[in-house]
Amino acid sequence: MNNLFRNHASYAMALTVAAGVGLTLAGCATAPVSPVGSADVRAKLTQLQADPELATRAPAAIREAEAAVRTAEEPLAKTDAPLGTHRVYIADRKVEIAMAQAATNRAEEQRVKLGEERERSRLDARTREADAAHAEVDATRVAAASAATQAALQAEELQRQIDALQAKETERGIVLTLGDVLFTSGRADLKVGAAGNLDRLVAFLDQNPDRRVVIEGHTDNVGSDDSNLGLSQRRADSVQSFLVQRGIAPGRIISSGKGEHQPVADNQSDGGRQQNRRVEVIIENPTPVVKSM
Amino acid sequence: MNDRFISVRALRPMMAAGVAVILMLVVACASAPLTPDSALDAAKVAISNADKAGAGQYANAELAEARTRLTLADSAVNEEDMVAAERFARESQVQAELASARTAAAKAAAVNVDMERGTEAMTEEMERAGDQR
Repeated sequence: MNNLFRNHASYAMALTVAAGVGLTLAGCATAPVSPVGSADVRAKLTQLQADPELATRAPAAIREAEAAVRTAEEPLAKTDAPLGTHRVYIADRKVEIAMAQAATNRAEEQRVKLGEERERSRLDARTREADAAHAEVDATRVAAASAATQAALQAEELQRQIDALQAKETERGIVLTLGDVLFTSGRADLKVGAAGNLDRLVAFLDQNPDRRVVIEGHTDNVGSDDSNLGLSQRRADSVQSFLVQRGIAPGRIISSGKGEHQPVADNQSDGGRQQNRRVEVIIENPTPVVKSM
Repeated sequence: MNDRFISVRALRPMMAAGVAVILMLVVACASAPLTPDSALDAAKVAISNADKAGAGQYANAELAEARTRLTLADSAVNEEDMVAAERFARESQVQAELASARTAAAKAAAVNVDMERGTEAMTEEMERAGDQR
């Protein structure tokens, strides 16, 4: 011991070596820490790995990024800060590359879906078009059918009404013959009992407001021509005034006396003359309506 | 005089030890000062690829940074700092690769947007045609 300490040279050498070792440690490995920024890049990678949309879409790039991040996390001495910065830079870019690749792959997968969607929407549109066409045809058919039904019903109703009037259809329209039983002989005012038959006429005109009426009075050949003409006119007029009283617009009614000149039967017999004494109510066929353009 | 001579003789082994320590430091911290040709070449290839892929349009900032790093690497070579040169070269390469990756992503997204617009336009067109009936 004493011997060793007395040797100055040996002592100095030991001291120098110790200092050298200390210097080496200080130079390369004192207080090694993970480089600045390595935590950030790790966090970024963790976020990518946790993203279910992206994590599975770039496995190789993510593995490479993981290795780079691990390298960047290796503790380094302060003097090696540039190496640490370099490793963090590399790791950061590798993570970014993995993210970009995952995004690319996702976009490509979405494109396949988009293509399918586009095809589907095209098909949908075609189906819609076809459906619309069908619907249109159906609607037309239904409309036609309902129009036909309507027309049939109307015709049926009209026929029923005509039957109720005990009228007959002629070229001029529906002709209702009111016999002379409605009138007292030689007079123009209606008998009370006439109202029933005429009420049905009023009802018919109410239901068919587009029809106009011509009322013609006729007589047999008994009496003078003038008096017959006058009588037939008055009888026609009294039917007209009855209708007007019941609310039929006067404008729809034309009345005229025809006298004895249009017999429907032989004036030689009582029966024939009775038939000739009559008032005819001609319900004109509706004038076809011309639609204004 | 004799005293001084003795003390110099005593210092000699100390100096030898110091030289050894310096050598140790050099070996421990420095690598061979050779031009990092392969790293520089790899960076140039990566930049060229990114450029061809259209990074100038889709990832111009990334491409520009890759070029800046390559310039820094060349400067370091001129200053004979080969360690820095290699690091800059590798950074340039990975940055250029990022430019390529982002270009691909941007292109893919753009195609999808176009497709979506096309599908929308088609759907609208069809619906309008349907309305006109």
